[in-house]
Amino acid sequence: MPRIEKAVLTVLALLLLAALAGRLYTRGGPYFAPPQTIMDHVGPGKHATRDALVLLPKVRPLLPRGAEVTCFRPVDGWAPEGDTDNFFVAVGQLPNQSVVPPFTAMTGTPLPNLVEYVVAVRDPFTHPDYREVAAFPEGRLYRVRR
Amino acid sequence: MIWVIGVLLVTGFGFVSWRIPLVGRVDAGARLAIAFACGCVGVAAVMFAFTLVHLPFTRGTLLVALGLFLAGAPLTRRFAPPSPRGAGRGIWGAVLLLTAYGLLTARETCGDLIYFWGPKGQRFYVAEKIDVAFLAFPHYSLMHPDYPPLLPLVYAFASSVAHGFSWWGALFSMLILLAATVLAFRGLARERLGNDRANAYAALLAALLAYGYARSMVAGAGEPMLLLFETIAVAALTFHDDGEVLAAIALAGAAWTKVEGAAFVAIVVVAYLLTRRRVVRAVAMAVPAIVLVGSWLLFALKNHFIDQYARAGERMHLESLGLIARVMSRQASYGAFYLPWLAGAVPFAFAKNWRRAALPLIVAAGLVASTIYFYLHGQAPVWWIESSVERVLLSPLMALLVAAAAASE
Repeated sequence: MPRIEKAVLTVLALLLLAALAGRLYTRGGPYFAPPQTIMDHVGPGKHATRDALVLLPKVRPLLPRGAEVTCFRPVDGWAPEGDTDNFFVAVGQLPNQSVVPPFTAMTGTPLPNLVEYVVAVRDPFTHPDYREVAAFPEGRLYRVRR
Repeated sequence: MIWVIGVLLVTGFGFVSWRIPLVGRVDAGARLAIAFACGCVGVAAVMFAFTLVHLPFTRGTLLVALGLFLAGAPLTRRFAPPSPRGAGRGIWGAVLLLTAYGLLTARETCGDLIYFWGPKGQRFYVAEKIDVAFLAFPHYSLMHPDYPPLLPLVYAFASSVAHGFSWWGALFSMLILLAATVLAFRGLARERLGNDRANAYAALLAALLAYGYARSMVAGAGEPMLLLFETIAVAALTFHDDGEVLAAIALAGAAWTKVEGAAFVAIVVVAYLLTRRRVVRAVAMAVPAIVLVGSWLLFALKNHFIDQYARAGERMHLESLGLIARVMSRQASYGAFYLPWLAGAVPFAFAKNWRRAALPLIVAAGLVASTIYFYLHGQAPVWWIESSVERVLLSPLMALLVAAAAASE
């Protein structure tokens, strides 16, 4: 293999390596502390799913197997119609429960149809038919009063 | 850790591929990488068959299946001599170290891992089957329920071994897939290119894919698995005149990993027809992919969770062509002044054998064209392109580099 060809290939590979190192650096620090979640450094800022990823493993032991549960970040204390990030994270983090969309805890839903458990990310959930079961720095667990 | 060992155990389903004469000629690293890739196809097909006959995939049933596959494997066959150490060794090491760092500090995680690849794999493991009630649940439709099942099934297999799903394990499996891709390429290219050149191009491919994976954040998602199959298929057909059997398995794997895999199969078959003019072999090469995708589509139709594949009939928006070209060309720079494309194109300065490079070049061009074709079916494609094109263009980048390596022969 001619030296010039080998040199060109090596330079290209080294440039790509430098770009890789730069890319990893721009994901933000800390650079050598073990991350708490798998989304900790996907961007320089905090990822939309991070709180749910920290909260749900704490909530998981408190939920009965097969329980119906939803997960969302309340808007002005109430359940939104949808919350893609937190809802789908819950589907993955609560494999032994049945995760249903946030609208199942919306105001106006008849009491028998309200989802049994609500995981509220960050902000409190103020629906009068729910009582708080547990609180964590990243959010709270609620259960419907029936 | 046990979960990652579970992923590696998939290789046991692929040792039978060592019966293919071409695989028998490659070095140990490539042979193991190819066995791993074929094992992924094998284990996924077995788990799908289990679902069809209502046999749960437990440790016990999967172990029996593994035993049957191992019984058919020529495990005592001698390896070809190992690739001598030399050009690119340091780059290889740096690529693997940096990538391991990026994965273990959560710098390359794909959002789709937590949104659907992971949940599907986990749910299949918990249900001990492909859980159609989960896939057909209307509120989970954003999870692309009819997406091909190979990767979630590999995840479910590893979870069965480890008795639980591992999110970090799913991330780390990207390192295994990257290493397997490059080892397979080097081993397949070595017979034509010689040790030095195969090593040098393998190191460049490793750096190219590692940067592309980090930039487009694909850890835990389907792309590293797709690239493994695509690289094996293209390299087997480019560097060997008897690569059809191996390519057929790899094409089946690609088609069963991502929706784009089906387009890849069609493009490779057309490229093969144009360059080799062997109609029967071309059709035969596509048969495993057609059987797997066809049976999956029938399964999805029967269980009412058809979604992405139903979009095939949607109207094209040709008026978006200019916009698509603009956004694609901007995103294609990979934030590095088009360095990945330069890495694929500059080595053509040393091209001697354009004839051998024809197939991967046609594949690269076809993949770019098919990407544009896909985007033409979106009504507001800017967000879609911005969020996906860096991942999708990794396939033509790989094909371009394989072409450059082939041309250097």
